[in-house]
Amino acid sequence: MDKKIWLMSPAVILLLCFCVVPLFIMVYYSLLSDGTRGHLTLQNYADFFEKRIYLKLTWKTIRISCCVTLISLLISYPMAYVMVNLIHSGKNLLLLAIIIPFWTSQLVRAYAWQNLLREGGILDIMLRKLHLIGSEPLGLLFTPYAVIIAMVHIFFPYMVITIYLSLEKVDIALVEASKSLQAGPLTTFRRVVLPLSKPGIVTGCILVFVPSLGVFVEPRILGGTEGSVIGMVIEDQFFEIYGWNFGAAVSFILLAIILLSMAVLSRLAKKEA
Amino acid sequence: MKKTMLGVWIAVSLLSATACGNKAANEGAPSSPNNEKKTLTIVNWKGYGSDDPEVIKTFETKYNVKIVHPYMASEEELLTKLRTSKPGDLDVVLPNASILPVAINDGLLSPVDTAKLSNYAAIYEPFKHLAENAKDGAVYAVPWVWGSTAIVYNPDTVKGPIDSVQALWDTAHKGKIAFRDDFNDAVMTAALALGQNPNHPSDLDAIKQKLIKQKPLNRTYWKTGDEFAKLYAGGTVDIGLMWSGQTAAMKKEGQHIKYVIPKEGAIGWVDNWAIVKGTRNPELAHQFIDFMIDKKFQEDWVNRGGPAPVNKNVTRTLDPAFVEEMGLDEKTIGKLTFISYRSDEEKKKWNELWLEVKSH
Repeated sequence: MDKKIWLMSPAVILLLCFCVVPLFIMVYYSLLSDGTRGHLTLQNYADFFEKRIYLKLTWKTIRISCCVTLISLLISYPMAYVMVNLIHSGKNLLLLAIIIPFWTSQLVRAYAWQNLLREGGILDIMLRKLHLIGSEPLGLLFTPYAVIIAMVHIFFPYMVITIYLSLEKVDIALVEASKSLQAGPLTTFRRVVLPLSKPGIVTGCILVFVPSLGVFVEPRILGGTEGSVIGMVIEDQFFEIYGWNFGAAVSFILLAIILLSMAVLSRLAKKEA
Repeated sequence: MKKTMLGVWIAVSLLSATACGNKAANEGAPSSPNNEKKTLTIVNWKGYGSDDPEVIKTFETKYNVKIVHPYMASEEELLTKLRTSKPGDLDVVLPNASILPVAINDGLLSPVDTAKLSNYAAIYEPFKHLAENAKDGAVYAVPWVWGSTAIVYNPDTVKGPIDSVQALWDTAHKGKIAFRDDFNDAVMTAALALGQNPNHPSDLDAIKQKLIKQKPLNRTYWKTGDEFAKLYAGGTVDIGLMWSGQTAAMKKEGQHIKYVIPKEGAIGWVDNWAIVKGTRNPELAHQFIDFMIDKKFQEDWVNRGGPAPVNKNVTRTLDPAFVEEMGLDEKTIGKLTFISYRSDEEKKKWNELWLEVKSH
């Protein structure tokens, strides 16, 4: 055991050099005042909380992320459940189909959604052919709905995979025991399967919610005039106005929110387990 | 645990040892010049005129020199390069107004002797008097190419002719406008609409209100030129704020699009060549800049789809109708407000204003 710990050293070194050390450099930046001879200050953090606009954008981002997480969960759980319990062959093919979009860049997928959702786009044509809508276009592009649709598409595979893995581990004997004790399928699901798959749900929620907080590509391309989110503020600070100090401060506030949400979610998981 | 730490230490020291080794190896390279051929190091954007293989070959043969062409990804990066390079590492660079005053004041550039440039006289007069390009009467930067940001519209669907920037506030175009997602262009355009000085607006609050009024009329804010081109081609938008260069490219692709410099004026930008302080090849540097503003190079590039040339002799050879419509003539230059240097504080304030508009 003692010797095997050495196997971790490449990963540990990578983490130290490219994650922990840069993080501390960023902490330093976030505490630096602007100007060529910056001094240490908390002003960047104070700026964030004093101006309503940053809090407003953060709150908006959290709301969008919650929406995306919830929708992903509602889509993913039935899908994972069906894949584990009802499909006997071709599971790997389905999993592959879920993973394939990961091989395309996020930017390309955002532009693809633009083509799908725009007026007279593919979605409009299809719905019209099916007589589901009249001649009026749906007008989804450049609305918050477009952003949420694209984000769900990008992040829900994480949820499917984690729930699939936890459902697969559910001991079939427990389900049969529940049945033999006269529990209906709904009760069995609620009292046996759901609690056992909870770790997968929580991990999935974390894996969807956390990256959702940091997006800026989809809101910018699909969100239209209402597309501002906190991730874009950070991008602007680093690439547009070179306000590294303030940008680093906003990043750390976002990181704090992420850590907090992870703590809350894993506490939820422990409580019932 | 101790063993792990030991492993980490060994690895870190090994890493730093190799890093030092590389550095030592690199340092030898620039200081061992080929005695027969001098090297001229030019910093520019990738794919931006001066790195064209043909152009490089012509210059290299003419002056018996080797051109090295490192790229920059932002003006800010160029400033960092200038600050951290050793004297003689870089010869000619392409700064614009956003960093020029800083570079000149910090003594990173050396004055250009315009008498050595045979083509300097052919540069449009207004470009020779840009405040950012000179200090204490000495010229530090030679204008090379320029462009404008003005209004485009689709003459088939928009009732024209449009001649005012107020068209972007016209409710008749509601849902068909694409304003640009850029704090500088937003503030400057609103200032033009309000009759304020776009480079030094007097009332930022009025500008914010004006932009908030404009917001609901937009279909979207565009970020990249390509994004606008797609939306325009698909008919999603048919009027907006656009660059002269991108519009020319869209015309070449066969788009029916009209470019207008509004009567209130428009935003202009200039890219300039400058010589780095401590260059070992001042003569060659001057020759290179002269070559870049020469009629031959400027004419070739604009015909290949490059930005507007500063050499007025080139404009005369182009199609007069194209020059008139794209605003490449001297009359247009007089109507433009060229983006001036902004302090970090100003940039921060404008960016925040734009963010407030976008999340209003």
